[in-house]
Amino acid sequence: MDETELIRLLKARDRATWNQVLRDHGPRLVGYATRMLGDRGRAEDVVQTSLMSVMRSIDRFEGRSSLRSWLFRAVHNAAIDELRRGARYVELVSEDEDPLAGAFGADGRWQQPVAAWSLDERIDAHRLLALVHDEMDRLPHAHREILLLRETHGLDNAELAEALGVSAGNARIRLHRARQALRAAVTRRME
Amino acid sequence: MPMSRCEDVIARISTILDQEAGPVARLRFHAHLAMCDDCRRYYHQMVAVRSAAGHVTPDDVPPDFDRVMGFVLEHLDDPAPDKGGEDKAG
Repeated sequence: MDETELIRLLKARDRATWNQVLRDHGPRLVGYATRMLGDRGRAEDVVQTSLMSVMRSIDRFEGRSSLRSWLFRAVHNAAIDELRRGARYVELVSEDEDPLAGAFGADGRWQQPVAAWSLDERIDAHRLLALVHDEMDRLPHAHREILLLRETHGLDNAELAEALGVSAGNARIRLHRARQALRAAVTRRME
Repeated sequence: MPMSRCEDVIARISTILDQEAGPVARLRFHAHLAMCDDCRRYYHQMVAVRSAAGHVTPDDVPPDFDRVMGFVLEHLDDPAPDKGGEDKAG
């Protein structure tokens, strides 16, 4: 079924279609909110509230974004609101903005050798997996959210921008910096 | 002709990882990596970290979604409250 038909059925309150959409997207929405909030129960509450909001406003959905990015945007906004209410939203500090600030000289070459670690040399895949997930959950939320949406849940660039409510160019820059920040955090754990 | 500045190469990493770079840019990128141990190391670390970040755990896709789903579907036939705005939920 194409998305236009899917949206038509959702607007018609077709129970089987809603059931299918919730089954298709709901678990990932809960997973996303859980990694953002660090608490499965609160995540379920946030997703429930968000989906109720989506259901109430489905008539206004015009298909300018994908359904998936619209759902993620609803949950993302609710999760950020929840974090801010509890003063738990971790903002970026200046060194997060550009993790490679000062790494290059005037000639554009590395000032210091890049730390040596690789799956072959110092770390096995299981340990790297655990480290990366642990460090993702410690990153400032602005980095964590974009990595979860892109790397974990597979949103493409356009969906990423829509889910976060930013331009495609901004999403691309933020994703690049978040990846650099995650690599830097993992590298610090290797030292 | 390879990119000569490490800073320029590293700035392109995400476009390479996301397969958004054109063939010439990819060729220049990998030509630089062939000559530069630091950039090669950095690139392989980014590939490894990205791959691990994309590994989906049960926390990321929990199998039990019934409580939320049941609650939402219960309210499917509730009257729609207000109108206005476009494409904004939450």
